[in-house]
Amino acid sequence: MTILESIPRALAILLVAAQLACGAPGSEPAPAEGPGSDSPSASLQGTPGGRLVAALRAEPGTLNPVLAADRPAQTLRYLTHSDLIHINRETQLTEPALAESWSVSEDGTLYTLRLRRGVFFSDGEPFDADDVVFTFEVYLDPEVASPNRSLLIVHGEPVRLEKIDAHTVTLRLAGPYAAGERLFDSIAMLPEHLLAAPYAGGTLSDEWKISTPSDRFAGLGPFQPSVYRSGESLTLKRNPHYWRRDSQGRQLPYLDELVLRFAPSEDAEAIRFQSGEIDILSDISAGNFVALAASATSAELSLRDLGPGLAYNFLFFNLNELAGDDLPAVAARQEWFRQLEFRRAVSEVVDRDAITRLVYQGLARPLGGPVPEGNRLWRNTALEAPARSVESARARLRAAGFTLGADGTLRDPRGAPVRFSIVTNSSNRQRVEIAAIVQEDLRALGIEVQVVPIGFQSLVQRLLETHDYDACILGLGGGDVDPNSESTVWLSSGSRHLWAPAQESPVTSWEATVDELMTRQLTEIDAAARKRQYDQVQQILAEQLPLVYLVSPNVLAGAHRDLGNFRPTILEPSALWNVHELFWTPSRKKP
Amino acid sequence: MRFLSRRALHGLVLLFGVSLLTFVLAELAPGDYLSRLRLDPTVSDETIELMNERLGLDRSAAARYFYWLRSVARLELGYSYQSGEPVAGRVGAAARNTLWLSGVATLLAWAVALPLGLWLAERRGRTEVALASGATSLLLAVPDVLLALALLLLAVRTGWFPTGGMVSLGFAELGWSARLLDLIHHAALPVTALVLTIVPTLVRHVQAAFGDVLDSAFLRAVRGAGIPRRRRLLRYALPAAANPLISLFGLSIASLLSAALLIEVVMSWPGIGPLMIAAVHSQDIYVVLAVVLASTVLLLFGNLTADLALYALDPRIRREGE
Amino acid sequence: MTSRSARLAAYCLLALHAVAALPGFFAPYGYAVQDRDFPYAPPTRLHFFDARGTLHLVPFIYGLRPDEGGSYAEDTSERYPLRFFARGDSYRLLGLIPSSRHLVTVDAPGRLFLMGSDALGRDLFSRLVYGGTVSLYAGLFGAALALALGGLIGALAGFYGGRLDSVLMRTSEVFMALPWLYLLIAARAIQPLDTPPARALLIVILILGGFGWPRPARLIRGVAASIGRREHVLAARGFGASDLYLLRRHVLPRTGSVIWTQGALLVPQFVLAEVGLSFLGVGVSPSIPSWGNMLGDLQHFHVLTSDWWWLGFPGLALVFVTLAYHLLARGATVTSG
Repeated sequence: MTILESIPRALAILLVAAQLACGAPGSEPAPAEGPGSDSPSASLQGTPGGRLVAALRAEPGTLNPVLAADRPAQTLRYLTHSDLIHINRETQLTEPALAESWSVSEDGTLYTLRLRRGVFFSDGEPFDADDVVFTFEVYLDPEVASPNRSLLIVHGEPVRLEKIDAHTVTLRLAGPYAAGERLFDSIAMLPEHLLAAPYAGGTLSDEWKISTPSDRFAGLGPFQPSVYRSGESLTLKRNPHYWRRDSQGRQLPYLDELVLRFAPSEDAEAIRFQSGEIDILSDISAGNFVALAASATSAELSLRDLGPGLAYNFLFFNLNELAGDDLPAVAARQEWFRQLEFRRAVSEVVDRDAITRLVYQGLARPLGGPVPEGNRLWRNTALEAPARSVESARARLRAAGFTLGADGTLRDPRGAPVRFSIVTNSSNRQRVEIAAIVQEDLRALGIEVQVVPIGFQSLVQRLLETHDYDACILGLGGGDVDPNSESTVWLSSGSRHLWAPAQESPVTSWEATVDELMTRQLTEIDAAARKRQYDQVQQILAEQLPLVYLVSPNVLAGAHRDLGNFRPTILEPSALWNVHELFWTPSRKKP
Repeated sequence: MRFLSRRALHGLVLLFGVSLLTFVLAELAPGDYLSRLRLDPTVSDETIELMNERLGLDRSAAARYFYWLRSVARLELGYSYQSGEPVAGRVGAAARNTLWLSGVATLLAWAVALPLGLWLAERRGRTEVALASGATSLLLAVPDVLLALALLLLAVRTGWFPTGGMVSLGFAELGWSARLLDLIHHAALPVTALVLTIVPTLVRHVQAAFGDVLDSAFLRAVRGAGIPRRRRLLRYALPAAANPLISLFGLSIASLLSAALLIEVVMSWPGIGPLMIAAVHSQDIYVVLAVVLASTVLLLFGNLTADLALYALDPRIRREGE
Repeated sequence: MTSRSARLAAYCLLALHAVAALPGFFAPYGYAVQDRDFPYAPPTRLHFFDARGTLHLVPFIYGLRPDEGGSYAEDTSERYPLRFFARGDSYRLLGLIPSSRHLVTVDAPGRLFLMGSDALGRDLFSRLVYGGTVSLYAGLFGAALALALGGLIGALAGFYGGRLDSVLMRTSEVFMALPWLYLLIAARAIQPLDTPPARALLIVILILGGFGWPRPARLIRGVAASIGRREHVLAARGFGASDLYLLRRHVLPRTGSVIWTQGALLVPQFVLAEVGLSFLGVGVSPSIPSWGNMLGDLQHFHVLTSDWWWLGFPGLALVFVTLAYHLLARGATVTSG
């Protein structure tokens, strides 16, 4: 019942019945038992009014949801727009949003969505199937170049949306697609009445720019943009026509105003949060979280440690097939990197507990596979972080023909000393510190490592274009929990297949197996079978160690203690996911 | 007049050269604005190609530079890859914020340094001068970052001052006097940091300039003539010492946009410094170009102001110019 | 008095640079050596009297153990006397001679954190010493390069005047206006990854010097121009002296005092430039300590609120160095003027 919070009860029962009838919406696997899987607490009745000040790490590039490419813009899309089927950030399951119910055909390729009636855009115009049709047309138009477009290309073909009547649409996929319902999330429903003309005129990208927030805007989200101050803040005001109501039928959101203050760094955010200039904050770094808890104003703050999230850090080696004799030095070192025993030895010697303790103040979890604990639905719980053992690592290297020289340097079978460099992006302090720890750990094996922090752009260039690097420390995650969200990383043809991207055909047999399993799970509609396949993928990735998984940092958030319904989630936008039901308790003195 | 037109021409050539070189440098730096997306698993290559086209990144460097030149002619200064809007507005707003900070600080610094320097120059050799010069030496040696960090720490510890930004929320609803107070409250710490960085250098120069003049035979003669101190200093010493001070003032103007860079970053002042750093890091090239252009214009303007003032005040220079 | 303080400043600077030249010897530990049991340790206290009140002539320290409050308490069960010229972590003197002698250290498992330790349990005093190598020499060599370039260009421009002068001076204006942040980012990206830190430092030096020459050049140009018009120089030219001779014999020597004064003023500016760059994250690689990198850590909220005092050390070191150079510059001006 908790999935359907803030939806009138009668309707909820109806929906459950609908889901049972057609079977498909229950296609998520049951949440695995875990530390975070206790059922979410119910929402409290709020009191309307008040202003909430939240932090935004950078200025959003645009208010246009179709073009939102950066995280601030995506957060803004979440706050000002609504989607048809929504991923509940708390349960990680799909729930009805603007589509009040849906059904899926037997073969899993046709979705029929029934739209909620009596829904109005923030400018008072009604929302109906024409807006949905228009929205999909815009998102799929290559000319528009929406960053979300690729989500709507399933099995190589764009999804096809058709209007049945004013409140019913169908969506046809080229084939069965396991993550079908999830693709609706983040596809913001656009007002045809406002955007049809600019779209036809080819000027859609000029609409809804950040500097003209209140100019002819209409959305279905809880808030609408109102005032923008360059370099300072963006103020959102309550959408009086928002479609959600609380359990007593009161119009949501409770808050009158939501101010997004731009703070240039996580530290500037923390400083302002501590001094009370910001009320609610996500993405707090571990060091800052501990400092906030110890600060003088900590009694005013409610700080939450949500445990490990979806993000994770890892070390990986350059396993690209290098063309010609471009990089002979790298190619020579690749002979070590390609050996599984070498990668295993590295994985065994890395002190994940030290990383957790020193870099994350204990607010992280050592990791043994590609899916961190935050992903309650899909993690293969059998995969544990390997126990650290220098002895075992040495034995592996010995068995692979490496020898420890008299000077303490590890030498390969040919007698060459084992030395390599680790790159990481210099802007990420945690990664630079992790690199320092890995460097010290590898010294225990006689391996000399040079840590080279470089700018993000040159890192990307080296990883994806020139392949001129030995090893790299990087992080991933923060998207959705579904296995699909990282498929370009695991598929050997994927352009984010970090260790050897965009292969024409899989180089190794295990990569071929992963490819096959990943493709199969994509069309698998039976949730349990899909989970088994993905478990197998994780198992292979944990055994073959294309990435040496390190740790998964905890998601840390905070808010003023008088903020009601503050229940941050590990899925973005973390603390603001339920912004429609956040409210100030009466003990808060009015600003 | 010929002087002015020659200067204008020089200025244009300089602006062109600086913008071209900056563009080349930016091209040399690895990656482009879309690099960030290239590692994001949720964005497909196809999308990146489309965005590449939409942002015009697929065109040749020369084409993009010429596009930018045309855009400069329209006073848009290019558009930001990040917001898709003309850069001029964004950079203009940031420059306004920076100028408010550094303008106030520069005026304050001059208001402190002129009398102090004069006072010190008059009392050469006394203990208070030694003390004061010790103090200025010490201040001169404290880097602005350190000052800014110390003041930020003060703000965080005491809660007396805002810890960043330029105005409070709800600024728009305030009356004008409350607005002014709010601005002053926010600017207090960054302005203090900046004043403390500028003052010691200014005092040094003022002291030296007046020292030379007061020592000169001319001023000794003036004193010998029994002209009262106030009149002596204002009517005779000040004009005589004006030349180096005017050049110095020109430099003050020229550095208005750049002097506060680190202070702005530390205190998260929404000025041109943080904008520039962010743009450099994300390869938002046209923003960088516009910022560089703006500071070069100010540099030129500062030099020009100084030269014009010298020209107007100093008959010797006037003659040389003709 | 000025000359005496200038001399004192010179000695201090000499001593500092000597320490910075031999960081391996003066630092108790290597800059990357971690003691993972003691992150964020406070400065180790030196004792002369033990728990029983007995006086020890050689100061000693106690070991640390974690206490309940998340901090550390002294473990008085064992004393670790300071050892001078003892063996410890091995390093290479001047990058060449292998050695493991340290000026002062204690026997393991004792740990000497003169200024406390950082997040990874690395000794901050050692990092300060190693950081000094980077910051001081980046400043010194960068300034030397800028002066050499600026001296040459300024002398040429001032001596010849005319078209060459205006071309060189316009070029200097362009250089003063350029955003050299970019060049640093580009250079960092282009250099091979196995570049040793010393060579990476060289790039910072080259860029500091390559972009720092316009100011000294403009000053020296002024001096050279005035010398070039003096009567004895004009006379020498009248006697058929070559330009090269005139430059070498008359112009460059006269610019000497300007160059020295400028040098003494430029070095601290360049040290600060390194600090600024590293602070913004585009200077010296964050994996090696420099005063700028260490100061940059203060940007972090948790460091600023709880550990600000230990990171004040690089700040103090900076102030001290700048002050000393300024005194030196004043001395140079007084003696030459």
